[in-house]
Amino acid sequence: MATHESFAGRANRFRTTNAWWIRIACYVSSIVLLLAAWQAFGNSFGVLFVPFTTTMLRLWEMLVDGPLLAALFVSGELYLVTLVFNIVVGVTIGLLLARSKLISAAFEPYVYILYATPTISLVPFVSVLFGFEFWPRVVVSVLISIFPILLGTLEGARSIPRQHLDVAAIFGSNERQLWRDVIIPYVTPFAMTGIKQSIALSMVGTLVAEFFLNPDGIAALMLEGTTVVDTAKVMAITVFVAAIAVVLVGIGELVEWFLVRWRHSAVG
Amino acid sequence: MATLSSGLETGVNRRAGAAAGWLTRERVAPVVAGLAILLVWEVVVATQLPDFVARPSGIIMAVPETVSSKEFWFDVVVTLGAILEGVVIGSVAGVLVGVAMGRVRELNWFLSTYIRALYALPLIALVPIVIIWVGYSSTSRLVIVIISVFLPVAVTTADGTRAVSRDYIDVGRMFGARTHNMWFGIALPSAMPFIVAGIELGFARGITNAIAVEVLASVPGMGMAVFTKSNELNENGSMVYVVCLAIFAVSVRAGMIRFRHWLAPWYRGATG
Repeated sequence: MATHESFAGRANRFRTTNAWWIRIACYVSSIVLLLAAWQAFGNSFGVLFVPFTTTMLRLWEMLVDGPLLAALFVSGELYLVTLVFNIVVGVTIGLLLARSKLISAAFEPYVYILYATPTISLVPFVSVLFGFEFWPRVVVSVLISIFPILLGTLEGARSIPRQHLDVAAIFGSNERQLWRDVIIPYVTPFAMTGIKQSIALSMVGTLVAEFFLNPDGIAALMLEGTTVVDTAKVMAITVFVAAIAVVLVGIGELVEWFLVRWRHSAVG
Repeated sequence: MATLSSGLETGVNRRAGAAAGWLTRERVAPVVAGLAILLVWEVVVATQLPDFVARPSGIIMAVPETVSSKEFWFDVVVTLGAILEGVVIGSVAGVLVGVAMGRVRELNWFLSTYIRALYALPLIALVPIVIIWVGYSSTSRLVIVIISVFLPVAVTTADGTRAVSRDYIDVGRMFGARTHNMWFGIALPSAMPFIVAGIELGFARGITNAIAVEVLASVPGMGMAVFTKSNELNENGSMVYVVCLAIFAVSVRAGMIRFRHWLAPWYRGATG
């Protein structure tokens, strides 16, 4: 019977006020242990691994000297254009598909096929059609990251309750009023959920486009490091990219948090 | 899909309902649209673009030549084999770590910083450092596929096993369940739909990332073939590979969704 008691005891212990400092201790110890191990074993794999401090120094150097900052601007531009494209085009196509049942039945299978197809394999086709410059990159990047917004909008527009549309029809709404008073307010939260995902996913698209279409920006910097086995450089940029990714996911969650609050206050 | 029937355009609904039998407008529409897409593609390339650009008729003509070659089957076997191997290893590892994280809070707190950070990171950004560590070899591809599957599976398994209903735990305890019964007899089965959703997501990412590694590390396989064929200006042959990859990816997704619906009809799945 000892097992049960210990299990119950453990469960209870977590519900006591002590849990928070155990939690903090876990977080802190995991970070400290990883950094310590990173530092301690940093020099034991030859050129393949560098200690934590070396990595951070290299990151600092690259930021101050400029190459990383310059690459960040190049990648940032592609990222922002991708995100804006995703929002504008994704919401538009989603609404168009939802507006007519026939059109959505006709094209939806192909949207899903395109979504499931590994976009990287389409890169040669895109480059044959459009070349290797900025806009082909946008095409690849958008192809990777548009679908959550598009499908979210479609799903939202489709789930508008029949009653809402009927009420609008009874009160003689014209097309413009229907959109302003019913469709747009109803679809917004669905689109926002897609936008939240796209904030993170557009970064994937940006990196893929930069890696595979005539390397540029942050991806090019990483590939340069790989070819000459400049481990410190590659590790520093990887950490940097991870930090940006965490921030972007955080921004996405913030967007969702505002959205949930807004939805609660709107529904009442 | 109750939402399907509440489409915006009610007029089409009524007219569609009037059409008798299985030959409804909704069933015919995708076929018409598909043919239209292929036709537009064919005509635009034939009239506006250089001869080497891939077009539907060219792709179909390239099928016999491509499929009869030895390299094609070699590429298919190595790429799909590596993906399947990575999915199996990544899923098993992800489930074990995920259950542990779901049932032991200290472990969850200890690991979650890294798991969540890696989960947020576009895995393509890990390819360069993995190439440095593992080399320009097929092992890099396997490692990346394993990570691609491991992360979503670990996260969904942890979420699923943490969300186990209190009642199951209480019943288990009453019948004298030991820790391993709690983990693998109660928590794991009830987290099954979460786990399948994680594998579904990981599988899709694994396919994409396997191709990415092949191209960046020059590992022979289907992804590499898409790019080399295209560089040789054999665009149609390149597209045959793309179509095969698309068929594989679509069937995997459809199969996993069907499996999940069969396993847990109530669960809607992970997104992203």
